[in-house]
Amino acid sequence: MTSGLPSDARVAPRANIRRDTDTQRPHVPWAESIARGLSRFAALSDETEARVELESRLSALRAALLASPYYTRRLRDAGLHPGDLRTLADLRHFPTLERGTLARHWDEVPTPLSREDESVVVRSSGSTGEPVKVVRDRLDCLHMWAVLRFWLERARAVLPPRPRVVLLDALPGGLEYSVRLPILHDGALHRISVLRDDARERLCRVRPAVLFSDPEGLRWLSEQRDLPTPALLLTSAQHLPQDTRDALARTVPAPLLNYYATTETGPLAWECLGGPGRFHVLAPDVWLEPGLDEVVVTRLRPSVLPLLRYLPGDAGTVDRDACACGFHGWTLERFGGRGTCHFTTPTGRTVDAWALAWVFKHHALRAFRLTQVERSRFELELAGAEGSEVAPLCERLIATLRNLGWSEPPRLDVRHVSAEDLATGAKPLPFRSRVSAPEGQRPWPQ
Amino acid sequence: MAFDVKNIQKQLTDVPLVSPYPHDLAVAIICDTFRLAGVRPPSRADWEDLERRAKTPALWREQVVMLAYVLTSSTLGADTAAMLRKNTDSATVMKGFFVQVEPLTAEMIRSNAFRQEEFLRKWVHAVDGQVKDESPRETAARLKQLDYREALQEMQRAEAARRKEADKRAKDLADAAQRAADARGWRE
Repeated sequence: MTSGLPSDARVAPRANIRRDTDTQRPHVPWAESIARGLSRFAALSDETEARVELESRLSALRAALLASPYYTRRLRDAGLHPGDLRTLADLRHFPTLERGTLARHWDEVPTPLSREDESVVVRSSGSTGEPVKVVRDRLDCLHMWAVLRFWLERARAVLPPRPRVVLLDALPGGLEYSVRLPILHDGALHRISVLRDDARERLCRVRPAVLFSDPEGLRWLSEQRDLPTPALLLTSAQHLPQDTRDALARTVPAPLLNYYATTETGPLAWECLGGPGRFHVLAPDVWLEPGLDEVVVTRLRPSVLPLLRYLPGDAGTVDRDACACGFHGWTLERFGGRGTCHFTTPTGRTVDAWALAWVFKHHALRAFRLTQVERSRFELELAGAEGSEVAPLCERLIATLRNLGWSEPPRLDVRHVSAEDLATGAKPLPFRSRVSAPEGQRPWPQ
Repeated sequence: MAFDVKNIQKQLTDVPLVSPYPHDLAVAIICDTFRLAGVRPPSRADWEDLERRAKTPALWREQVVMLAYVLTSSTLGADTAAMLRKNTDSATVMKGFFVQVEPLTAEMIRSNAFRQEEFLRKWVHAVDGQVKDESPRETAARLKQLDYREALQEMQRAEAARRKEADKRAKDLADAAQRAADARGWRE
């Protein structure tokens, strides 16, 4: 799959591509109902009415908690039982579920699987801690496509018949594929790597109606000329420099929707199209507890993986809001998860340090720290690393930095340290920078 | 007069934590509550009988201490004394109450909002009281929701069903493996 690429980019993680896309078809009415539910809820101005509706979903959650071996034990140990959960206010008396705990009990948290669930196990990227194995049923896998229908409506984007969706990928490895997408108006999904020489031509040929990418992919996109304009661009809650946004608006004048999702929970919120920094919560599918300093998620949509007060490890505060964009509901502000860090390229551009996270996929985040000391100099601290794995790791890291904008390989000093030296409290902070970003390049959220 | 359970819980949240009362002091506090209402308190023999009936005497002693604590740390004691009927049989009240709260530990009653509410409501029920702003039907429904004895049984049933299903799957797999092994035998 990647043999046509230079050796420094030929490092794609393995991927299993699901080809039985016809099995999506029976779930089209479900996807429509999810989108309708989100739309209706976003128009519900009465908080009491909204809470009553959310609380009506707790009975399904109670049943799932009772069926989950982990939760039955955890609640019993705390002197609780699922029946205690009657209102949203009751949630604060229940224990939280941390990423590390989910990682350890990944096979006990789900309800017992049946063949009809068509469940799969996926692995989170580990961008907010150690990678977590996540059990997903068929509807969990398709949920993003149902939510996309809702976002298209919010952005007033109109799709052509049989729309084509592109995942524009800037990760080293150059993984590409094409599959049918019956769940979205009988469309098709194409993954295109910007590392391929013919990426632009392929993009023009596909003429996507919807384009998902990360900040690096969008930066590449902003540098292209004469591209077809999709109905909607989407990116996922990573730092997107303002100059990239501006350049993108000139090159591809389509609405840009920034969403917040995790592998464990699925999509949680989306950034208001009219006000940066304000993420509207995707109720009634999920509930993010208001008034706290961190994101606490309870999944209210039925799933094989019940999530009660799950902590994805992101900071932010949720409040009830009637937004100027017409949205009524709960909004996440001061969102600053994932130990936000930005590196500055030799040309002065800032890039999200978390774009390097995949390089360290097999390292716990508490076992390394990458510090940008100067624009072309980094320090990598490693705890407990085997001697034989250091050289390949450095090779991958340099290759990725080159893809991100360091045209000349930066200097990389490696130091072996103890795990205690890297301790930063509750949340791992594996990336940091001692280089000041130039004016106008300051990342958000602060 | 009705018991304001929410307000009593708020009072309990507001009072500072104190060391557990000695058992004899706790018994005296409970007896005094009955005396204040003009009701004859349980006798020493009654208390011995209550301890004998307890499935776990150590847990029962925790419950006695916690009952004394909530009676003195909130208006529950005064409210109880005010509404107890003169002809109440205190030993029967205590017997019924301790059966109802049987699985609740002191820690649960102190720090778990649901189990504390359950403990208070079961006391209100034992003394035949009413809960403020609730119909008897609503009170009974809430008591049923909170019943930890019932919940434990439900969780045990769920656990047993899961184990049964897991055993069945393991057996199905073993049978399938055996069939495959047998088939290989006669094909070869």
